[in-house]
Amino acid sequence: MVSPRWKKLWRDLQAAQGRMIMMVIAIAVSILGVGIMLGAYTILMREVSRNYLGTNPASAYLELDQVDDSVVEAVKQQPGIADAEATSWVLARVEVRPNEWRPLLLFVIKDFNELHVNKFLPEAGAWPPPVQTILLERDALKYINGNIGDVINVQNPNGQKQGILISGSVHDPGLAPAWQGETAYGYVTPETLAWLGEGSTLHILKVVVKDQSQGRATIEATVSNLAQWLKAQGYTVGEIRVPPPLLHPHQTQLDTVLLTLLTFTLMALALSAILIATIVSAMLAQQVRQIGIMKAIGARSVQITGLYLGLIAFLGMAAVLIGLPLGVMAGRGFARMIAENMNLTLYSEAIPVWAYVVQVMMGTLVPLLVAFGPLQRTTRVTVRETLNDYGTTRESFGSRGLDGWLGKIRSIDNTLILALRNTFRRRGRLIMTLGLLAAAGGMFMTGININTSWNQMIVNAVAIRHYDLEIQLNSPQTEEKVLATIASIPGVQKVESWDLMPAALSRPDGLEMVRTYPDGGHGNLSLRSAPPESNFVESVVLSGRWLKADDTDGAVLNHMATGFFPNVKVGDIISLTVNERTVTFHVVGIVRQNMIEPTIYTTPNKFAEATGLPIQSINGVRISLTDHDAETVSSMTGKIERVLVANNIGLKAVISETMLENATNGHIYIFIYALFSISVVMAVVGALGMMSNMGTSVIERTREFGVMRAIGAKSHTVLRNVISEGLFIGLMSWVIAIVISLPFSLGIGYMIGNLSFMVPLSLVISPMALVIWLVVIALGSITASAYPAWQASRLTIRETLSYV
Amino acid sequence: MLSQVKNHHREFMEGKSLPVRESRLIEMNGVSKAYEVAAGEFLALKEVNMRVDKGEFVAVVGKSGSGKSTLINMITGIDNPTSGEVFVASTPVHTLNQEQLAIWRGKNVGIVFQFFQLLPTLTVAENVVLPMDFCNMYSPRERRERAIALLNKVGIAEQADKLPAALSGGEQQRAAIARALANDPPLLVADEPTGNLDSHTSDAVIQLFANLVKEGKTVVMVTHERDLKQYFTRTITLSDGEVVTDHGGKNG
Repeated sequence: MVSPRWKKLWRDLQAAQGRMIMMVIAIAVSILGVGIMLGAYTILMREVSRNYLGTNPASAYLELDQVDDSVVEAVKQQPGIADAEATSWVLARVEVRPNEWRPLLLFVIKDFNELHVNKFLPEAGAWPPPVQTILLERDALKYINGNIGDVINVQNPNGQKQGILISGSVHDPGLAPAWQGETAYGYVTPETLAWLGEGSTLHILKVVVKDQSQGRATIEATVSNLAQWLKAQGYTVGEIRVPPPLLHPHQTQLDTVLLTLLTFTLMALALSAILIATIVSAMLAQQVRQIGIMKAIGARSVQITGLYLGLIAFLGMAAVLIGLPLGVMAGRGFARMIAENMNLTLYSEAIPVWAYVVQVMMGTLVPLLVAFGPLQRTTRVTVRETLNDYGTTRESFGSRGLDGWLGKIRSIDNTLILALRNTFRRRGRLIMTLGLLAAAGGMFMTGININTSWNQMIVNAVAIRHYDLEIQLNSPQTEEKVLATIASIPGVQKVESWDLMPAALSRPDGLEMVRTYPDGGHGNLSLRSAPPESNFVESVVLSGRWLKADDTDGAVLNHMATGFFPNVKVGDIISLTVNERTVTFHVVGIVRQNMIEPTIYTTPNKFAEATGLPIQSINGVRISLTDHDAETVSSMTGKIERVLVANNIGLKAVISETMLENATNGHIYIFIYALFSISVVMAVVGALGMMSNMGTSVIERTREFGVMRAIGAKSHTVLRNVISEGLFIGLMSWVIAIVISLPFSLGIGYMIGNLSFMVPLSLVISPMALVIWLVVIALGSITASAYPAWQASRLTIRETLSYV
Repeated sequence: MLSQVKNHHREFMEGKSLPVRESRLIEMNGVSKAYEVAAGEFLALKEVNMRVDKGEFVAVVGKSGSGKSTLINMITGIDNPTSGEVFVASTPVHTLNQEQLAIWRGKNVGIVFQFFQLLPTLTVAENVVLPMDFCNMYSPRERRERAIALLNKVGIAEQADKLPAALSGGEQQRAAIARALANDPPLLVADEPTGNLDSHTSDAVIQLFANLVKEGKTVVMVTHERDLKQYFTRTITLSDGEVVTDHGGKNG
C-alpha cells in the first residue's frame, strides 16, 4: 500500500505537470549541453591521438641524395632508431578547373603493402595504384571535385603536364585536411613518378626515433647523430624535418577546440547548477505552505526533506533519461562533424564511463545538493512562518535602501512602477535568474564577438596586403625576363621580386634542421628578399624599423618568426641555415604581420649572398592587378601562368589572396561553429530559467493578484504587470551579459589569436550580438512571463484568495 | 473575573506555585511573544498565564489583533514564545525544537485551521491517513479503516475518496476535524474553524466539537462567534495581548 505522502508527491507531479515537465526539460537541456561538450571532448581527445599515432608518424625526415634499401636497413640498426623507411615527395600541381591549378603534394611509395611509417589506409578503388595512376587522399578528392576513374591533369615541377587516372582513394590521418591547407595529396609509385617526368629515385628517409616521447631535444640529438653517420657513409644530407613530436599538424587547432569545449563544459556545468538551483528553489517556494501544514499535523523535517529529495531525484532521473541519450547522440554527432572537418576517422565513438557519471550526477546529485540547503531552511522555520508565507512576505519590500529608491520613482505608469518594485522583492531568486540569463547571454555574445573579431582580423590582414597573387618559380630565373614578361600582360598593374627560401635555425653540427611536416606548410620558417621600397605589404613595426636599401646584413622578423628566436630583440645577431649555407643577420626590426607565416625579410643583395643564388635571378614574384575581384584574379592567374609557361618559366605554386583567406578561415571554422552552437544551447538554458522564475513568481503572488482584481484591477492589468516584470529582469540581464561578454571575449580572443597567429584577437563588441540577444531576451521574457500571467488572470478571485 | 486573573498572575510572579491538578492539560506561565516589524517591536502576548483542564471546551475570543491566534500557536508549538513557559500534558512545549515539536504535535494535538488547509492533491481519506503515516501510528492496514471511521464520525464517510476541491466548505472543515483526530490526540486546537462557513454549517461544526468534548477531548478554539457560547465551558477574552476576562472555567 502506497503511503499517502508518496501519493501526494505523485499527484503534485500530475497537478503541476506543466511546471514539472519544464523542470525536467530544463535539467535535461543542461545535461544535453554538458553531454555534447563532454562527449565530443572525450571522443576527440582519444581519437585524434589514435588517428595520428596510428600512422606511426616519422620523428624526422632526412633529405638525402638517394635512399635505397641497403641504407634503410643500415639506418634501422643505428642507435636510438626504432624504424626507417624510404619515400619521396614532389610538389606538383593539379588542374581543378580549366586553367585553374592547385598545389598537389605527391608522395612516392615504393611498396604500398609494406608501409609501416606514416601509414595511410585504402579507402576505395585500387590498392596499390597501378602504374600511371594515382591514389588521392579522400579529402583531397573532394577538394579537387574529383572522382575515382577521372583523369586529372598534373603538372610536374618542371612544368610538364600529364593526364593521370585516379585509381583510388586513401585516408591519411597524418596530414592536415586538403581543404584547410589548400593543397591536394596524391600517392604514386616511383614508376608513375618517372612517367610524370620526375626521377624515380627516392630521396627522403623517414625515421622513427625510439625515445620520441621524451621530446624534440632527444629526437634532434638522435637524428643529428644519424645524419653525421650518413655523411660519414658518403651520403649528402640536405634538409631535415623534425615536426612536433607525436602531434597532428593541426594539434594546436584541435587543442584550441578541445580546450574551448572543456571550458564551456565547465561553464555549462556551472550554468546548469544555477538553473537547477533556480528551479528547485522555485519549486520549494510553491510548496512552503503545504510543508507548513504537514509539519502542523506531525511531519518531521527528515520526513519532509526525504519526500522532496525523493521528488527531485525522480525528476532528475527523468531528466537524465531524456538528456543523457540525447547528449550522447549529439556529442557523437558533434565529434563526427569535427572529425570530418579534420579528416579524421572515429574508430570508436565510445564515451568513457566517467563522462556518463558526470551527466547522471548533473541530473541527480546537483539538484539534490542545491535543494538540500533551501529544503533545510524551509523545514527549520516555524510552522507559523510557513503557513503565513505568501511568497513575498518573508523579504518584505521596503526594508532596504534600494527599496527606498524604488519607492521614490514616480511619473511613470503605476503598473510599471509595481512591476519594477516587484522585480526586487525576491532578491535571492532575482540574483540567480539574472546570473543564469547573463551567463547565457554573455556566452552567446562572446561567440559572436569572437567570430566578428576573427573576420575583422582577416579583413585587416587582407587590407594590409596590396598584391593579388604570389607566384613561386620552379627554379631561379632571370629577374629582368620574369618581371618584363609579367608586366607586359594586360591587367597586371605592378610586379615585384619577392624571393623565398626555406630557412632553418643554424646548429653547431651544421645540419639544416627545420620543424615542419611533410607538407612543408606547418611550422616552417622562410627567408624572403623584400624590395625595401615596396608598398605591397604594410607591416606594423613593433620595434626597430623596416629594411633600407643600403642594409648590408639587416633582417626584419615578423612576429611569427620571433617564436623561433625566444627573446630576440633589435640589434641581436641571428644565425640561419639556408640552402645548406650558414649565414648571420643583424636584426634591424620586428614587425607584426597577421596571416603571414614565420618569415625573415632581408634585402635582395643579402638574400643572394645568403642563398648563393645569383643577384640577377629570382624565384618568386608578387603581382598586383588592375582589378581585384575574385573572378578577375582567377582568370588573370590562368593567363599569367600560360604566358610564363610559354616563355619557359616553370611554376612551383601560385597562391592567390582568396586561397590564403580560405585556408586561414578553414583553420578556425570549426571553432567558431562550436562556440556558436554552445551559445545557442546556453540561450535555451537561459530561457528555461527565465520561464521557471516567472512561473514561480506568478504562483507565489496568486493571492496578491486576487486582491488586485478584487479592488478593481482588470485581468490585462495583471498580465501587463507580470510581463513588465519579466522584461525588467530580461533587460537587466542583458546589461550584465554585455559586461560578462567583455572579459570572456578578451580571454578567448587572446587564446585563439595567440594559438593561431601569435597575436591576440582584438576585443570587438558586435552590435549584431547586442541586438540579437536583446531581441531574444525581450521575446523570451515576454513569452516566459505571459503564459503564467495568463493562467493567473484566468483564475476567479475566490480561487486566487483561497490558493493553498 | 478580571481580579481573579490578576490574582493568579500575582501569585505566579511571587513564586507561589499553583496546585498541580492531574486533570490539568495546559499551563501557560508568563508567556510573552514579540514580533519584529518595520515600526519596531510588537508585543502580541504580554505575560499571559492560563490553565486549561482536561475536558474543557475553551473559546478564545477578542478583537482582531488581540493575540488570539498567537495564544493558540503557543499551545500547539506552531510558534514559540519570546519568554515564559508552556506545558501541555506536562510537556514543556517551549523547550522543544522544531523536530521534537513535530513529533509531539503529531501525537498530542490536532489542529483545525480556518481555511481547512487540506492538501489539495490527496483525497479526503488520504488527508486523514497522512498524520498516522507521518507519526507511524497504527498499522498501514488499520489506517484506512480508521480514517473511514473518523470520517463517518464527522458525517462525511461517503466523501472519503473525493479530492478536497470537490467538497463544500463545511465538508472540508469536517474532513480537517477528522484529520485532527487521526492520531487520537487529547487536545484539539482550532483557529476560527467556522470563520469561513455559513451560520448553519458553523452550528454543525461547533456541535461536532462539543460532541468530542463530551467524549473526553479538550478543545481550545479561537472564535469571533459569541452567539455560540452555549457550547463552550469557558470563554477567555484577550485584548492587546492580555487576558482580560475568563468566564466559566474551573480555574475561574
